[in-house]
Amino acid sequence: MHLPEIDKFAHLKSPLHSWDPRVKIISISILIFSVVLVRNLQVALVGFCLTTVLIFLSRIPFSFVFFHLKWVLLFTLALSAILSFTISGNLLFRLLFLSISREGVNLGILISLRAITATLLIFLMMGTAKFSLSLKALQKMRIPDKLVQLLMFTYRYIFLFMDEERKMIVAANSRGGLKRRDFSTLKTIGGIAGMLLVRSFERTERIREAMFSRGYNGKLNIIDEFTLNSGDFIKASITIAVALMLNFPWVMK
Amino acid sequence: MREVISIRNLEYIYPDGTKALEDINLDIFKDESVGLIGPNGAGKSSLLLHLNGILRGTKGAVKVLGMEIEDKNLAKIRQKVAIVFQEPDDQLFMPTVFDDVAFGPLNLGYSKEKVKERVKKALKKVRMEDYEDKCSHHLSLGEKRKVSIATVLSMDPEILILDEPTISLDPRARRELIEFLKELNMTKIIAGHDLELIVEICSRVVLLDEGKIITNGNPREVLRNRSLMELHGLEVPLSLRQQKITR
Repeated sequence: MHLPEIDKFAHLKSPLHSWDPRVKIISISILIFSVVLVRNLQVALVGFCLTTVLIFLSRIPFSFVFFHLKWVLLFTLALSAILSFTISGNLLFRLLFLSISREGVNLGILISLRAITATLLIFLMMGTAKFSLSLKALQKMRIPDKLVQLLMFTYRYIFLFMDEERKMIVAANSRGGLKRRDFSTLKTIGGIAGMLLVRSFERTERIREAMFSRGYNGKLNIIDEFTLNSGDFIKASITIAVALMLNFPWVMK
Repeated sequence: MREVISIRNLEYIYPDGTKALEDINLDIFKDESVGLIGPNGAGKSSLLLHLNGILRGTKGAVKVLGMEIEDKNLAKIRQKVAIVFQEPDDQLFMPTVFDDVAFGPLNLGYSKEKVKERVKKALKKVRMEDYEDKCSHHLSLGEKRKVSIATVLSMDPEILILDEPTISLDPRARRELIEFLKELNMTKIIAGHDLELIVEICSRVVLLDEGKIITNGNPREVLRNRSLMELHGLEVPLSLRQQKITR
């Protein structure tokens, strides 16, 4: 079964992999904020190119990253199309009764570039360390414990959830349940979704019992082995400097 | 022999009104291996959950190592009574094998060094020492089962409870688990339908049906009783059937 693991290439060796996860999360988060605040198309393009260079440096295969970008691309493509038709401005060309404006196209490209760059940066942030290590880093950074536990359980059980969903679809298909495109198929899909929720709920009860059996008291205790070195700070300084430059007033013009 | 678990007149009714256990009286002694058998819905899992205070009886009393199941004793009892649940994916909820095995000792407040030592020791015991950094969802069912046992062995318990330990295991993984359990020197309570495993490992068997103890005795004698087995939805294990193979 294909598992959508964001940390599939966490075992590689690169300057991004060796970066302390805590400093990396903070620095790249600042860069993401900076990228989504960019208002200039050329600057957004520079941000995208720099991020592509970082992906290259991280040695994560481009095919892996771009394969997982497909949903973002689908969303941004739809958004760009809508903006091109709905934003008024200088007429670029006319398609039947629809007019496409230069401002609309520019805004669509800008938003797409920001979204794609931010997603790529998330890949760099979470894909260059084991997910468990990133979670430990979040906990060390005093992110609320409940949020960290929520992320941890989501990541741990998403694979099981997908596996159960796949088994139920196979079972439905083997009885001809999902072959048609009609109301009854929709009902079957609804039933599968409902059953998945019920099973997940029952599982949470059992996990709760297993956790309490091993002395859980509401707080997640994990061992971390983080060490900071000068390299971490140099990488952070460069990243934050780039983030600031992308939104510097003279660049914004 | 020292009594490690003592159950007196235990009754448990689920919030929806279903009576799960009725008038249970049972003593379990140190280093004993007890099999808990019965049809589905007999109350086996409910009884096991009473042994470390996950469920509390509506009537009666449970004593573990001389301690009543009360809030003030729970931490100590949960360290001493380890439950390995039926479904390994419910037991392995942390991102990596190391984190899962370390979960119990960390909750007991042990130092970082002691936790690491416990994790290494527990994984070595189940012969999974090279799996520390693996994610649980990458393991086979047999491996998950072994790591599940390591997650409780790391807490250094005195009583090990296993709910359906061999369910869904292939023959090789099942055999490995049986041999491992045979070697494990501690009080064991094994619930399940794998009656061959009970014959092989347990020195006593308790038959439970409709929340009541039907009988309690030597596994070979109880499990060989065909009418008793069939009356309670079970079967005489193959190894105990009086059959002669003729050529």
